[in-house]
Amino acid sequence: MTRLIDPSLHKLSFIMSEMGDMVIESISLAIDSYLTGTNTKDKVLKLSDSIRAKYFEVEDLTFDMLLKYQPVADDFRLIRSSTEISYAFSRFGRYAYDITLVRDLFGDVSECTNASLVESTKKVKHMIKAAVLSFAELDVRKAVEIHEDEKYIDRIYRERLPELIESTNTRCALAEALLLRYLERIGDHAVFMSDAINYIVTGKHRPSEERIASHTKTEN
Amino acid sequence: MNSIQDRRQEYRSLFKQNVAKRLLVDKSVRIIVFSCVIIAIIPLGSILVEVFKNGLTAISIEFLTETPGSVGSGEGGIGPAIQGTLIIVGLSSMIGVPIGVMSGIFLSEYGDNALARFVRFFNDVFMEFPSILLGIFAFLIIVLVLGHFSVWAGAFALSLIMFPIVARTTEESLKMVPMTYREAGTALGLKKWVITFRIVISAAKSGMITGILLSVSRIGGETAPLIMTILGSSQFFSSMDTPMDALPLRIWRLSLLPYDSAQLQGWGAALVLIMIIIGINLGIKYYFMNKKNGFFGQLIKQRRNATK
Amino acid sequence: MTALTTKPTSMDASPEFSSTLDTSKYKMIAENVTVSYGGIDAVKNVTMKFKEKSVTALIGPSGCGKTTFLRCLNRMHDMTKNAKVTGKVMIDDIDLYSKEIDPIYHRRKVGMVFQKPNPFPTMSVYDNVTAGLRLNGVRDKKILDEIVEDSLKMAYLWDEVKNDLKKSAIELSGGQQQRLCIARALAIQPEVLLMDEPASALDPIATQKIEETIIELKNDYTIIIVTHNMQQAIRVSDYTGFMYLGDLIEFRETKKLFTDPKDELTAKYVQGHFG
Repeated sequence: MTRLIDPSLHKLSFIMSEMGDMVIESISLAIDSYLTGTNTKDKVLKLSDSIRAKYFEVEDLTFDMLLKYQPVADDFRLIRSSTEISYAFSRFGRYAYDITLVRDLFGDVSECTNASLVESTKKVKHMIKAAVLSFAELDVRKAVEIHEDEKYIDRIYRERLPELIESTNTRCALAEALLLRYLERIGDHAVFMSDAINYIVTGKHRPSEERIASHTKTEN
Repeated sequence: MNSIQDRRQEYRSLFKQNVAKRLLVDKSVRIIVFSCVIIAIIPLGSILVEVFKNGLTAISIEFLTETPGSVGSGEGGIGPAIQGTLIIVGLSSMIGVPIGVMSGIFLSEYGDNALARFVRFFNDVFMEFPSILLGIFAFLIIVLVLGHFSVWAGAFALSLIMFPIVARTTEESLKMVPMTYREAGTALGLKKWVITFRIVISAAKSGMITGILLSVSRIGGETAPLIMTILGSSQFFSSMDTPMDALPLRIWRLSLLPYDSAQLQGWGAALVLIMIIIGINLGIKYYFMNKKNGFFGQLIKQRRNATK
Repeated sequence: MTALTTKPTSMDASPEFSSTLDTSKYKMIAENVTVSYGGIDAVKNVTMKFKEKSVTALIGPSGCGKTTFLRCLNRMHDMTKNAKVTGKVMIDDIDLYSKEIDPIYHRRKVGMVFQKPNPFPTMSVYDNVTAGLRLNGVRDKKILDEIVEDSLKMAYLWDEVKNDLKKSAIELSGGQQQRLCIARALAIQPEVLLMDEPASALDPIATQKIEETIIELKNDYTIIIVTHNMQQAIRVSDYTGFMYLGDLIEFRETKKLFTDPKDELTAKYVQGHFG
């Protein structure tokens, strides 16, 4: 039986899946522009703007559904998490654009590439794909992978920063510092996103909030 | 899209064809119904008119208070008959109404069993009994046994006519009170008889009063049972064990006499009888309908407030 | 890619009654209640516990037995032919259905408000409120006056009728009549209040007033309300029980039942997939 809320839910689902695809593409393009020196700024900017526009669409749709249908149970949790997740998507798009700006600002930094950077960027790409897929299939088991990847990125971030401070190659060091920062933020939002997906499926709130909050406190 | 428009046009055109015919049928049915009502009322109306016309001249204080004069003299009045009718109606009501109301309550509130079904059936049959049979019955078991005509016998006979009507109308009125009021009473922890007597009856009062008035009007005009029980007399009421006069009896006697004066007195008596019955009806209805706590009085007030 | 392709797994759906943190006691316990009409079970072996000074909502599609169950809690089925009720209904450790007690006396511990407002039509506002007392022999005018004022205040009707208590009850509006019925039920000093869809016959503003009244009454009474309106259940109740075809499917804290129902049937019903 089609309920009044179903067309809106389908629309929400459709917009979110479009956003997911765009996020994967924009992150890939951004990282590649950094590692290989290609200029993808304009393309990524367009994607990021699209994602941002879709985020506002999701907001409107969410409040419209709350106003009209007063959803409960699964519907309610899905809608509630969709606001969190679409915000995460919009951040991913934004950070992707910021990464392409690094290449723009610093020029071709492909020679600054090192092994840990390559590994981190691989992990980020993997993590983003896992996050988007996890939402599409509401599969909470992928949360484990996302948390693993995020931990790794976090570790590299904390290890490399002191090293970069001592580095003599200012250009590479600054570029890498910026990149690592963006990757770390992407990681945090990916974890929030997996929490939101967890809420949809299990009804439990914010299991990772403590952990994320604590490690942002140790930075000073 | 077009097919919907086309279909609409098609169906609409059907309506247009019918309208003229239907209006005509409507009008003619109205006329028929109205004329039937007129046809029904005319005889009743003309009776009233006749009675008024013929009886008005007979009315006077002497007519209303004196005993009948010698036969054919045109003197005297119908005083005893008026008194007798009031007494016999009052007495019969005192017997018939309580029994009828109690039966009605039993049938409505406690009546979901075989006994009640039997009583109800018996009641319905009884209502249709020819009144003369009831008069004969009273004659057999009271007049013959006691050896004389008496007011007791008359009251007994008339109450037999009264009580099935009262029982039926009481039952129907009580049944019309929605179940939800009884449920509310139960939920308040009230006992069943309290709910029945203090809540349900007061809501059904109007219907019950109508039923009682119906039966009073009915017995006011009964003649045959009275012939066999109180016989009639020319004197005012003396005791319960003697015959007594009543208006139907007096009218009957007067109408059989060949004298014009007697006929005139008969019409007068008929007029008095009708006025008494109408008076009882209007008086009690007015008293109960406008009283603040009457159910229908309330409904009338509610409607008045709503349309303000 | 589409979202929501898998359904949440159904976890333990058995009714939960106690939370280790909540120590308030149970005011009313219905145990293994079964109601059958002529061989058909309308309520099948239902057990529910009601915490004191809480509001419990009973939801479910039409015909699921929620009203039938509610009416067991004050023995209304005694009035119904062919209704057979088994099981126990305990208020403070006294079983209402036990043969040793006087049902009419104990029935007064439980007040009831019906779906369509039913103030006694031939009585005034004052007489309606005191009906349960006067018709049981309470005559002291002073006490009656006090109780009338208290009950009408608790039902949020006092200000609207205090100047004319002799006014006929059926001259009030629908919402006022329903609050009058609540006052009438409260006047007999019950401990538990049963409400059978109390706002379903009222307009939205009147409904709102009834809901506000319920939330206030919660401080002093244990309330059990049958409702078709899920948003109403969410707004006013602390616990919710979902019934279907005579069975109690799920019984939990309201917020949890509506955001994360454990039983799949409950999830389907509250989201409007049937009913």
